[in-house]
Parts: sequence; structure tokens; C-alpha cells
Amino acid sequence: MGANLEQVTTHEPGLALHVEDLTVTYGQAPVLWDIDVDVPPGVMAAVIGPNGAGKSTLLKSVLGLLRPVAGHVRFFGRPVKEMRRQIAYAPQRHSVDWDFPTTAVDVVEMGLYGEIGWFRRPGRDHRARAMAALNEVEMADLAHRQISELSGGQQQRVFIARSLVQDAPLMILDEPTAGVDITTEGIILDLLKRLRDRGKTLIVVHHDLTNVEAHFDWLIMVNVQVVAQGPLKSVFTEDNLRATYGRRLTP
Amino acid sequence: MSLLAELLGSRVVQLVVIGAALLGAISGVLGSFAVLRQQSLLGDTLSHAALPGVCLGFLIAGDRHLGLLLAGALVTGGLAAGTVLVITRCTRLKTDAALGIALSVYFAIGTVLLTVIQSRGDAGAAGLSTFLFGQAAAITRGDIQLMAVAGVLIAAVVLLLWKEFKLVTFDPESARAAGLPVMALQSALTLIVAVAVVVGLQLVGVILMVAMLIAPAAAARQWVGSLAGMVVLAGCLGALAGGSGALISATGRGLATGPVVVLLISAIVLVSLALAPGRGVIWRWRARRRLSRTLTRESRSSADLRRRHVPVRGLKR
Repeated sequence: MGANLEQVTTHEPGLALHVEDLTVTYGQAPVLWDIDVDVPPGVMAAVIGPNGAGKSTLLKSVLGLLRPVAGHVRFFGRPVKEMRRQIAYAPQRHSVDWDFPTTAVDVVEMGLYGEIGWFRRPGRDHRARAMAALNEVEMADLAHRQISELSGGQQQRVFIARSLVQDAPLMILDEPTAGVDITTEGIILDLLKRLRDRGKTLIVVHHDLTNVEAHFDWLIMVNVQVVAQGPLKSVFTEDNLRATYGRRLTP
Repeated sequence: MSLLAELLGSRVVQLVVIGAALLGAISGVLGSFAVLRQQSLLGDTLSHAALPGVCLGFLIAGDRHLGLLLAGALVTGGLAAGTVLVITRCTRLKTDAALGIALSVYFAIGTVLLTVIQSRGDAGAAGLSTFLFGQAAAITRGDIQLMAVAGVLIAAVVLLLWKEFKLVTFDPESARAAGLPVMALQSALTLIVAVAVVVGLQLVGVILMVAMLIAPAAAARQWVGSLAGMVVLAGCLGALAGGSGALISATGRGLATGPVVVLLISAIVLVSLALAPGRGVIWRWRARRRLSRTLTRESRSSADLRRRHVPVRGLKR
């Protein structure tokens, strides 16, 4: 951790995400224990760690979807409540029932429901933005396909398009490349990199250690506690990996 | 035909048919959300939990004052929903176990109250047991008006909160991340299901009410590919089954309306599960056979490339 991160004050407007002393438990068992995380703006950060290390829990609790036992979260210096519109979140694909009667473009449009506001209907321009987002994930030709007829990789891309359409400065994605083939993973990771180059901040739970180095530039290594975090080049070391994954290190 | 005309000429039959159709429409619409939220059993719990409310209403009113009975049903239904919520939040039990517990406990309380009331031998107490299976013939003009008002209110709420309900139903986690009050929206959905259940108590009773919620939605899902389509079709199928079931039961002496309606809507479900294009069991079986025949023929003619053009849509992975 760099020296500049040590001087963190409670409100840290310079950081896209600032987490202090976060502890989350399920019942008695700690899932995250006294975690501090800092993510500067403009990076593409990977959250890595073994199964059950609390990666998804970290995302959910910073977003306020889980109630932590203790802790303190700021996005660009502000609490999550005030920043909803600035954060796009894509949960794991398996968190929803894909047999829901709807089409790909309709799911993407759901990303705009928060922005549209109460009692209003999505209009033609919202539909156009949804189509544009689908186009970016190379799914435009499947826009009107039932989501139950999409493959896993295509469903994954629909979710990414749904977070993309919100045009938020910060995107938080939970395993966007889980269970997709290599081609699709390439499409997704290239897209995320393009987004970062446009100035967006991305926080991505990632499971494939073989390509972390090639795609990400910031790393958060979690196993109940934060083992290491910082610029990928300085953090992605064998020692840290062993500390994160224990002996089961299989990069 | 003259029988039909004769039946429809009867005031009582008119009321029952209109009431059953209204109930079918309302429960079809709301059932769509319940089924998609994978909470089909919630309706069952709510309706069984209505029984103690009906009995309490009777004890307070001292006679069969319908408004109080239904208010009581709504209150205990809401309590049961709260119980389910508390159990799933505070214990490690899953929703299905919590629903089962709430259902049986509240229904047991209701049954105990019912037997207590009946053993006291109050005048009018005998009528309470009709809430178990419903008694359509007892329906009055006022009941129909009540149902119509409830129907309009429910339709208005669903229309106003359409996209919020849709998002909460499909992906509650993202809805919360987007800042929607997910708990409040889910409670609102549960509350209007409770209203629908209460409205249906008189007609089909607490035990079969769940079929009115699940069946039209399950049937409609087979035929359409959008939430709006599903909700509208489920409402129509529910109304159709309700209306025609009431008519059929009016033809035979002593045929109970509720069970006939439930059997009818179940038949619609069966046909939909079997035949609906794309999703029906038989449809998919035939599509598979057609495909395998085409493939065999094509590989014989060594035109392997053409294989790619065989339509496989609708065949599930």
C-alpha cells in the first residue's frame, strides 16, 4: 500500500471507493474482517480471492445490499445513498431467473428504470440507448430474443449492457466472465478496458488468475481480510498470491 | 342454447358469473407476479391465514358482517406475511419452510376459532364454514361492487408501479442497488395479493384460492414472451375460467362453484403445458423429432453444411 493511502481521512473525495474497517458476518462466522479498501478513479480493479473469500460480499456490502456489522463506505467522498445514480452494478448471472418472460433489450432497458423515475414509462430514446449498449457488447442482433434462449455468455453480456446503459462513472461487476468461453471473455474484457480508457472506474470480481495481469491495472486480493491491494504490477506477486490462496495456488 | 339463456336470465347466476370472472381476472394479474417471484405458495399462506381473521371478525361483530369478516381476513393475512418475513430474516429457515409454518399455524388457529364459534351455536355461525370452500350462491350485489372497486384499485396500483414491480420481480438485488425501496415494493405486492385473496374467499374459499393465483399465470407464461403479455393473458384466462366455471356449476344441482372453476383453470394449465409453441412438452417433443428426421435425411445426402439452416429455436439447451 502506498504512503499516500495511509493519510486517508474519513471523507476521501479523491477516491472512487473508500472502505474503512468493514466487517460483515453471516450469523457468527466472519465473511469479511476489518477490511480497508481504496480504489482510485480511472482504474480497472480486479477483486480476486478463493471461493468463499468474501468477494461478492464485499461488493454487496459496499453497495448497501448487505448490512455490515461495522464499517464505513464512501464513493467519491459521499455515502452510497447519494451516489446510486453514479454507480452501475451487475450482479452474478445466477442471481436471477432467466426464464423471466422478456427480451434482451428489455432487460438492458431495466438499467434505466432508476433514472426514469417513479410512475414514468421508458420512451423511445431509452430504447435507443438500450440498443446502443447492446451494440457495444456485440449483441445487437439478439436484442429481441427471449432471455431464456440466450447462452450463458450472452446472458452475461446482457447484464454488462444493462450496467453500461446507465453511463455511470463507476461500474461494479460481479464475475462478468464466469462460465463464458474464451472468445466472449475477450470481448467482455476488451470492452471493460475501453470503458476504463474513457475514464470510467471499474471494480470487477475476477476468478481467472491467468489473465489478470493482461487486463487489469489494479488489484484487491481478498481472503476474509484484504491480503494486498494496489497497482497490479507491485501487488501481483507470488508471496501475495500464496497468502491469498493458501497452498492451493494454481495460476 | 335456451338453457344458457335461461341461466343468464337468472339474477343469482348473473352475479356469480360476474363475480367469478372478476376474481379470475384479479387473481390472474397478481398471480403472474407471485409466480415469477417464485412465491406461488405465498398466496396459499395468505388465504389459509385469512380463516382466523374471518372468525375474529365474526367474534367482534357478533354476526356475519361481511366488511368486518374481510377486514379481519386482511389483518391476519398481513400478520402471516409478517411472520414469514420475520422467520426468514431471523432464523436460518428458508422461505418455503417459513411459508409452510405460517400457513399451518394460522390455519390451525382459524380452525380452533371456527369450532369454538360453532360449539357456541350462535345463529349465523354455521355460515362461517363456507369460507373453507366458498359459497358462490351467497354472493350479493354489494359483494360484486366490492370486488369491482378492489379490482380497479389493484389495476391502478399495478399500472402506476409497473416498471418498479417488474424490476423487483426480475432482479430485486439490482433494484436495491438502483435505490428502489425494494422492501416496500415487495410488501405492496404481497398486500395486494392479500386483498385479492380476501376478495376471493367468498367464492372459492381459503383452501382452493391458491389455484386462482397460480394457475392462470402458469398457463399464460406458456404462450407469451413478455411480462405485459403474461399479465393480460393470465387475467383473461382467469376471467374465462371463472365465468364459465360459474356457468357450468349453475347447470348442475349442488355443483360447488369454486372447485369447478379451479378444475377448469387447471385444464387450461394442462393444455398450455402440453401444447404451447416453444415451451409445451408435446410441442418440444415434436420439434425434436422433426429436427432429428431432417438431420438424418440431410447427412445421408451429404449436404452437411445445410445442417446449420435447420431451425432449432424453441428447443431448449
